[in-house]
Amino acid sequence: MMNLDKLNRREAVRYLGGSGIKLNYRMDRLMDECEKEILSKSNPKFLYIEKDLPCNEIIKGNDIQNHLSGCEKAVVMCATLGAEIDRLIRISQISDMAKAVVLDSFASVAIEQVCSKVDELLAQKYSGWNMTFRFSPGYGDYPIELQKDYLRILDAPRKIGLTTNDNYLLMPTKSVTAVLGLSKEPVKRRKRGCAVCNMRENCRYRRNGEHCGF
Amino acid sequence: MDFKKYLGKKEFILLDGAMGTLIQKSKVEYDSVPETLNILHPDLIASFHKKYIEAGADIIYANTFGANSYKLKDSGYSADDIISAGIKNAKSAAEGTNTLVALDIGPIGQLLEPAGSMLFDEAYDYFKEEIIAGSEADIIVFETMTDLYELKAAVLAAKENSNKPIIATMTFERNGRTFTGVSPACAAVTLEGLGVDAIGVNCSLGPDELEPVIAEMSKYTNLPLVIKANAGLPDPNSNEYDIMPDKFAKCVCSLLKYGIKIIGGCCGTTPEYIKNIKKSVADKKYLPQKKNAGTTVCSASTVVEINGPRIIGERINPTGKKLFKQALVDNNVDYILTQALNQVSGGAEILDVNVGHPEIDEKKMMVRVIKAIQGVCDAPLQIDSTKPEVLEAGLRYYNGKPIVNSVNGEEKSLREVLPLVKKYGASVVGLTLDENGIPKTAEGRFEIAKRIVERAEAVGIDRNDVYIDCLTLTVSAEQEACRETLNALHKVKTELGCKTCLGVSNISFGLPNRELVNRTFLTMALEEGLDLPIINPNIESMSGAVRAYRVLAGIDKNSIEFINEYNDCAPAVNVPKAESDIDIFTAVYSGLKSEGAAITERLLETTDAMQIVNEMLIPALDRVGEDFEKNKIFLPQLIQSANTTQECFEVIKKHISKTSGSPVSKGKIILATVKGDIHDIGKNIVKVLLDNYGYTVVDLGRDVDPHLIVDTAVEQNIKMIGLSALMTTTLKSMEDTIKLVRERKELQNPDGTSKCIVFVGGAVLTKDYAMKIGADYYCKDAKESVDTAKIVLG
Repeated sequence: MMNLDKLNRREAVRYLGGSGIKLNYRMDRLMDECEKEILSKSNPKFLYIEKDLPCNEIIKGNDIQNHLSGCEKAVVMCATLGAEIDRLIRISQISDMAKAVVLDSFASVAIEQVCSKVDELLAQKYSGWNMTFRFSPGYGDYPIELQKDYLRILDAPRKIGLTTNDNYLLMPTKSVTAVLGLSKEPVKRRKRGCAVCNMRENCRYRRNGEHCGF
Repeated sequence: MDFKKYLGKKEFILLDGAMGTLIQKSKVEYDSVPETLNILHPDLIASFHKKYIEAGADIIYANTFGANSYKLKDSGYSADDIISAGIKNAKSAAEGTNTLVALDIGPIGQLLEPAGSMLFDEAYDYFKEEIIAGSEADIIVFETMTDLYELKAAVLAAKENSNKPIIATMTFERNGRTFTGVSPACAAVTLEGLGVDAIGVNCSLGPDELEPVIAEMSKYTNLPLVIKANAGLPDPNSNEYDIMPDKFAKCVCSLLKYGIKIIGGCCGTTPEYIKNIKKSVADKKYLPQKKNAGTTVCSASTVVEINGPRIIGERINPTGKKLFKQALVDNNVDYILTQALNQVSGGAEILDVNVGHPEIDEKKMMVRVIKAIQGVCDAPLQIDSTKPEVLEAGLRYYNGKPIVNSVNGEEKSLREVLPLVKKYGASVVGLTLDENGIPKTAEGRFEIAKRIVERAEAVGIDRNDVYIDCLTLTVSAEQEACRETLNALHKVKTELGCKTCLGVSNISFGLPNRELVNRTFLTMALEEGLDLPIINPNIESMSGAVRAYRVLAGIDKNSIEFINEYNDCAPAVNVPKAESDIDIFTAVYSGLKSEGAAITERLLETTDAMQIVNEMLIPALDRVGEDFEKNKIFLPQLIQSANTTQECFEVIKKHISKTSGSPVSKGKIILATVKGDIHDIGKNIVKVLLDNYGYTVVDLGRDVDPHLIVDTAVEQNIKMIGLSALMTTTLKSMEDTIKLVRERKELQNPDGTSKCIVFVGGAVLTKDYAMKIGADYYCKDAKESVDTAKIVLG
């Protein structure tokens, strides 16, 4: 259980491709309304579990090896905003599409904020350790198929209602799975960035000379 | 001994505690699926069962919880292997005792439609396989369920493939709902209707926190209740649970007053817990509870108790509605969903769903529409058709307890419809007519009502679940008939004690000012005891009359609902629409919907419809598109402008269909999110834009089978197909779909080239990749999709 009390509006605008656009009064109101609805319908939940490295269950491909190199432990985590958010967005796609896209971007912001909070919590719990950033199945050559193993390891379907479908898409959709490495030695702060991102060839931020922040 | 004898003879029935907890403690190793231990270590599993039997369990759950072929896919075992071994282990442990063995079935592990992509029928097949594999068990248990829809598939699979007793328990969160939003009341109402033998809760919380859930269930069912709680909460570090066996037993005992008869433990509980429960209940009595909710219907999240007039919305019905018929022919489910949402916001608490139209497959459409509506709308549904096979399809795929509309006094109808109502646990509308037509007198109709109720009771349907419709006749044709209807209604209500239902608007046919006649008749009927008026809730005077009646009849206590509804609203005078000083361009550009519609209406008085479209609306929308491309406005604004144009188009369409006939379309385009992909927001944005440029979009939804796309293109002779995929994993589906389009003979020119233009889009797609998988166009956003449609269709 976790509470969110505010969502980062600038991020939401950026997801909508609106960076640099001055919002008019009506847009401002719509943003307010959507932020409120996402906050009230979110039911953020997360799970994590510690694994000693090396751990065959979660190592597949080069990128994750690089990411966790030098780490003694890893924390496997997952988080979700819950099923109500999907329903909310589904309903507004029928009644008000403009609102739906704004809700969708706030929901993306919200799940990212939930993950950041989990990061903070882990940083506290593992004080004295150095922590890598979150690395998720689907980044670089890290197979998205592992999404399913993550959920099994975490008992996520039963504990927080987080599942995948046959194509390894998370459901509820506003959800994340990831792994963080822990090391007693300082970890090289590898830059998260376009190099490990599978969106790099077709990223609207990159096209506009921006960066998604990841 | 069997379960039903146990129910009658034993004060309390004890279940076992957790199997998983014992497996974990034993530190035995297994590869991902603990049920494989049934084969790898049968003696160990049997020894766990024995411990629970020794502790006092009357029923033990075989170690088969996750043994479905979805979860076992990579295990090297079949569901049949694991389940028959599991039952065998439990049976061997129980040998020589009276202990019963339950086939234990948990969720499949994948989310069902509409939130997920597993189909109801797929879930049914998984469960069916488990049930057949477990035929040696004494009883079937479904537990840890969080989705009522999945549980319904499971119960139907059990009922249709075995005759064993069924226990069904669901898992609730601290907010009193399951992960998918199911309330305890909805679970109770639906499961009792489906004919399970005991219902309750298991897992997720300790017994101390389950009181509100148990209390709510008990209000809505007469069935014995089951509790199989966790031993409190696990410590995140040690994974030890925090409620000890003696306290656990005490907590459970404090809940017996809600009608609990069947008790066990879930995660964290051990034989010690079961021993303690046995000791604690030894001197207690089972206290069966009569449900105190009266007549109810429900969706998966909302129960509607019929304890006063409740509005049934009548708008989802093609009779006399040109646009609705067109929507059915075009498979335009969104149009119907809009009707559903509008009626709910107008005050409907139940929605009638009728999709009968000679040009379509009514059964298929009923299923499609019911699935779609329950994905976005909480109101319970009334399944309306004259065809029993359509009713059955609707009943099967409905999630909750619906109403069937309708049965009547004809022998054939009674024989065909009532068993369906019973099997699926629904309520039913009974029309007071039979082979001889509608009796003229109130007495005649009352007699038919009585017969319907008797026949319903004979097949096991409670009379509370029969709603009698005494039939409204047209007052301009038969003036005295109005009184007869009202008298019949009164007699049914007072003498049969049934709820009543009535379609209202027929009364005024052929008269001027129909609304006034309808409203007056409605008020008269309410006073005679009408419970379920079937009306158009979006006509304020009709839904308002019901609200006012609820105040005047003392149902709406302290007028709270009424005040909530009307407190903010201005006095109901007809304000003439102000002459707006903005023009249509500004309305579209700024996304001002109602202004756009009003201006269009005014323009139509002086300007040709097509001129408005081509010279005003499209250029305005083009300008919005250009500014979007230049980053002057952003996506929500583009959509708002498109929606405004849509409002304007609606006005124009209505105008055209009044003056000349069918509306003009620039051509049909299929849109679909490919198989396996559930992200459809991008596709829906494209749809809004294409709609507004005058194209007819056939939206097949998300997670769409390639064959459906190709078949639709052939059937409706469609030349342009748009496909969307968000994830790298689903690009393969996109490729497969395109391949199928290219292969289909009917979609080829005589020289073998393709008649269909395929355009694709989606976050991970690139132009190169799009070309590689055989698409004709790659569109980076909705705006480009429109540009492409202009090139292809003009």
